[in-house]
Amino acid sequence: MAERRGSFGDQPQHLLYESKAGGYTALRKALFDMKPVDLTNEVKTSGLRGRGGAGFATGVKWSFINRDAPGPKYVVVNADESEPGTAKDRYILENSPHMVVEGILIAAYAVGANQAWVYIRGEYDEPSRMLTEAIDEARAKGYIGPQPMGKDYPLDIRLYRGHGAYICGEETALLESLEGKRAQPRSRPPFPAVKGAWGRPTLLNNVETLATVPWIINNGGAAYAKLGTDKSPGTRLLTVSGNVRKPGVYEVEIGQTFRHVIMELAGGPPEGRKVKVFWPGGSSAPVLPESMLDVTTDAEALAAARSMAGSGGVIVMDDTHCVVRAAHRLLKFYAYESCGKCTPCRVGGDWAVRTYERILANQGSQVELDTLQRVSDGLQNGRCLCGLGDSAGWVIDSTLRHFREEYEDHALRHECNVGAVPANA
Amino acid sequence: MSALSSQVLEEIKELPAKYPQPRSAVMPALDLAQEELGHLTPEAMSEVAVALQLDPGYVEGVATFYSLFHLEPTGKHRFYVCTNLSCMLRGANEIVAHVKQSIGVTHAEQVSADGLFSYEEVECLGACEFAPMMRLDHKYHYDLTTERVDQLITERRAPTPLTPTLSPGGERERKPRAPRKKKADG
Ligand SMILES: Cc1cc2nc3c(=O)[nH]c(=O)nc-3n(C[C@H](O)[C@H](O)[C@H](O)COP(=O)(O)O)c2cc1C
Ligand code: SF4
Ligand code: FES
Repeated sequence: MAERRGSFGDQPQHLLYESKAGGYTALRKALFDMKPVDLTNEVKTSGLRGRGGAGFATGVKWSFINRDAPGPKYVVVNADESEPGTAKDRYILENSPHMVVEGILIAAYAVGANQAWVYIRGEYDEPSRMLTEAIDEARAKGYIGPQPMGKDYPLDIRLYRGHGAYICGEETALLESLEGKRAQPRSRPPFPAVKGAWGRPTLLNNVETLATVPWIINNGGAAYAKLGTDKSPGTRLLTVSGNVRKPGVYEVEIGQTFRHVIMELAGGPPEGRKVKVFWPGGSSAPVLPESMLDVTTDAEALAAARSMAGSGGVIVMDDTHCVVRAAHRLLKFYAYESCGKCTPCRVGGDWAVRTYERILANQGSQVELDTLQRVSDGLQNGRCLCGLGDSAGWVIDSTLRHFREEYEDHALRHECNVGAVPANA
Repeated sequence: MSALSSQVLEEIKELPAKYPQPRSAVMPALDLAQEELGHLTPEAMSEVAVALQLDPGYVEGVATFYSLFHLEPTGKHRFYVCTNLSCMLRGANEIVAHVKQSIGVTHAEQVSADGLFSYEEVECLGACEFAPMMRLDHKYHYDLTTERVDQLITERRAPTPLTPTLSPGGERERKPRAPRKKKADG
């Protein structure tokens, strides 16, 4: 069993139950007691929203696939997990791989696919091994194969390993990569549901999304919808990292406050320090200052706070760290990971990094602050083909918005008032 | 005399049939090549291209896009130290400094004099709750301290002498990896 840190929550333990190869009760129910359209409807009723980042309604996405269209259709599982601050898919794959396998099989049957592909990031050796073992076990038990559980409906799952590129998490870049190409996002339409992997109708879902499906089929969509909030039902896994005493992956019922998650579940910041800022949904989610710890974890509350639920990666930074340096580090990430297809992202990222470097070398002025704001504006609002550009813009924009003074200390007064790290270190 | 063994080339030729379209075999094929040679030489990429009936420029275009493909020699053991935010907040930069000093290199992707080690600073490896962390070859190591790094290095220096199958770069200076997008072709 893999090393774990975190908890299944003092709250409902719905997601991380131990699904063993002997289980698969949801698959049995799906194959023998329900029609494919019932499965999709059950997921619609649950209100489950995608856990990969965009939060799209899962049942609705399933219904976009024309089950009766002739020819092959695919389920592609996004196990590329590369969003900074996010580790929950690794956690699920290492601890409950059968739950993922079962979810994949149910989804495939629901949308009329016989073949599923799991695109897993290349660095995930241990999760790949766990998932492969689970697939082999399920195959040995007769749950995967030409006649799963005796049903005349072939089902198969195969792995495809990534090779180190954040952009492969973006769904159309992932499909390009799966087809053996450089992972540059496609323009949409056509959407993957119509023309996805190898030009065929494709359902693309995140690991955690699919891992939630067996519970929904076992207990009913209505039971799931009762958890969480009206518009963001259920539980989800939050990865809490950074300056907290008990970093870990915590399952929470959606709608808890970040104060609960950060201060209670994760034990708050180290002795004598204060939370300064947190990223509520991976590095791509605009930052929130300490004063907004009472914002709740549902997508609606986060949108009202001008951020987003994203990948559920909660990164906490305490008052011994400098916001400008943190933003600089993240911009280096986005600039490096830009696939280079659109100009604002390709050029803007580098501009931002160079500007941060001037500021951190005490060569900044009002010009640099204005440049950052302009670069940030240029990256946002649909000027880029995919979400990576927006994300880079949001890091700049949200840190500037909430921590203007810290930026001005650096750029205008050439000092860092945070203490732990001098500005030019 | 080809760069890749005939056995690996045979394996590569069997890959395309495993995918709905043959092109998907390019990355698994490059994996096999890299496994055999330690890194992807131009000869290896062109042999992969021939085996898969692809243009060698295309194969190189794919290889240069993904950071896990190495186009230059690496150490026998590779440190991939995460320096993204969650790890940085818990001391990743000190870990990088310690790794560099301990293996005796001045910059990323330089191979140590004994050919045993090289390091890279990498983006988030998806294990942020164990920060600071790194991947060493194919295994994750968590809650890193300088002592732990020393221990891992000692273990790898001690047991067996370096097998001469790899061509270590020695102290030769090498350029850092060019940013991925600079090689964008479209
Ligand atoms: C730059 C970028 C990176 C992404 N990375 C991931 C990722 O690592 N894992 C993931 O599941 N989704 C990621 N997404 C979201 C996917 O594009 C897609 O929305 C998701 O996988 C769909 O699955 P879901 O509906 O189950 O959430 C990313 C999106 C963007 C724009
Ligand atoms: S926004 Fe950036 S990563 Fe996305 S397609 Fe454009 S250049 Fe590529
Ligand atoms: S930031 Fe280092 S593993 Fe995620």
